[in-house]
Amino acid sequence: MAKTSTTAGHGAHGDGAHAEHAAHAHISRGTYYKVFAALMVLMALTVGAWWIEGIIALPRLLGVAIAMAIAIAKTTLIILYFMHVKVSERATQLYAGAAFVGFAIMVIITMADYFARGWPPPPGPLP
Amino acid sequence: MATTTPTAKPAPAHEHGHEVHGRELMHHFESAQQQKETATLGMWVFLVTEIMLFGGIFMAYIVYRWAFPDVWAEAAHHLNTPLGAVNTVVLLVSSLTVALAVNAAEEGNRRRLLTMLGITLLLGATFLVIKGFEYGEKFAHCAGAANPVAWVTGGARLEEKECLVPGRNFIFPEAHGAEGSKDAAASHGAAASHTQPQAGLGSPYQLFYFLYFVATGLHAVHMVVGLTIVSVLTFIAWRGVITPTYYTPIEVGGLYWHLIDIIWVFLFPLFYLVH
Repeated sequence: MAKTSTTAGHGAHGDGAHAEHAAHAHISRGTYYKVFAALMVLMALTVGAWWIEGIIALPRLLGVAIAMAIAIAKTTLIILYFMHVKVSERATQLYAGAAFVGFAIMVIITMADYFARGWPPPPGPLP
Repeated sequence: MATTTPTAKPAPAHEHGHEVHGRELMHHFESAQQQKETATLGMWVFLVTEIMLFGGIFMAYIVYRWAFPDVWAEAAHHLNTPLGAVNTVVLLVSSLTVALAVNAAEEGNRRRLLTMLGITLLLGATFLVIKGFEYGEKFAHCAGAANPVAWVTGGARLEEKECLVPGRNFIFPEAHGAEGSKDAAASHGAAASHTQPQAGLGSPYQLFYFLYFVATGLHAVHMVVGLTIVSVLTFIAWRGVITPTYYTPIEVGGLYWHLIDIIWVFLFPLFYLVH
């Protein structure tokens, strides 16, 4: 299960190969392996950061920011390469992006509302 | 990619007389490529709704973690981070095998396609077994057993009372809870209700575990659906339906699998890596 090279006529790797309309775009196996290696490195980084935060006191917000930045980086890699969005049609790229824009809108409006009403809540019987 | 070159068994010929027409090109599409792109776009429309579904849970998480960061830090200590990390790796590897499966289908390598789908199935099952063990641990503690095995065999008992499954019997253990409860009590001012150990609805730690079980539970349901999809894909690949001109099922099923992986990529740091 190894040595078939990518079909002649397509670039040997998907990087930079921009999806021309209707052209068949292709991401090679080599790219998949590289992306996977990057994902593993990011995975190690996020656990490593958590471990370090257990030893030295970092601001809590910084810890969350690091973890989320790494998670977003992993997600971007998966969406662009594993899910082929990088070489997909424009409409597909638009939908993929729209999901996250939609989520961001929900978070911004919801949190704005909570803050306008005073969040975190004042001391009381909560939670 | 213009002509049909079946490598395995040819796709079953369809009723109408044209020679090329099979699943890879239905009447209402101009080309196989267009048909595939349409299917992919349709799948993404569905995936957007999935992101919105999980988005609601993430929204609730943001609202409450923002308000009770100390509760979060204390509560998260009782999750099994090593197992969570192993599960993250398992899912990332399964994403790779799915991507390689699509690649194999594209190149018409049926053998490699079947191998990759098989490995994906194994990894998915591994994830669920590990997740099941983690859940089992929590439920076993509620029953007073030290671990799931002891729960079944009537073995080692848990020396300290603990129940992290939300509900009336919820008890956050004293040893680790002491410090956090003090913080929580101080920040809420309601000192009277914070006697230890915290039981039932009075415990603020329940919120974390409620979100944990809802989020990972919904994710596990998606894993079961994903495993079903990959099983069906394995079956149709084995039957020889998948060809280099028609591998849309693999592509679209793969998209679903990757989405589940992405959800976990966020669940892992949000629940297991909290300080």
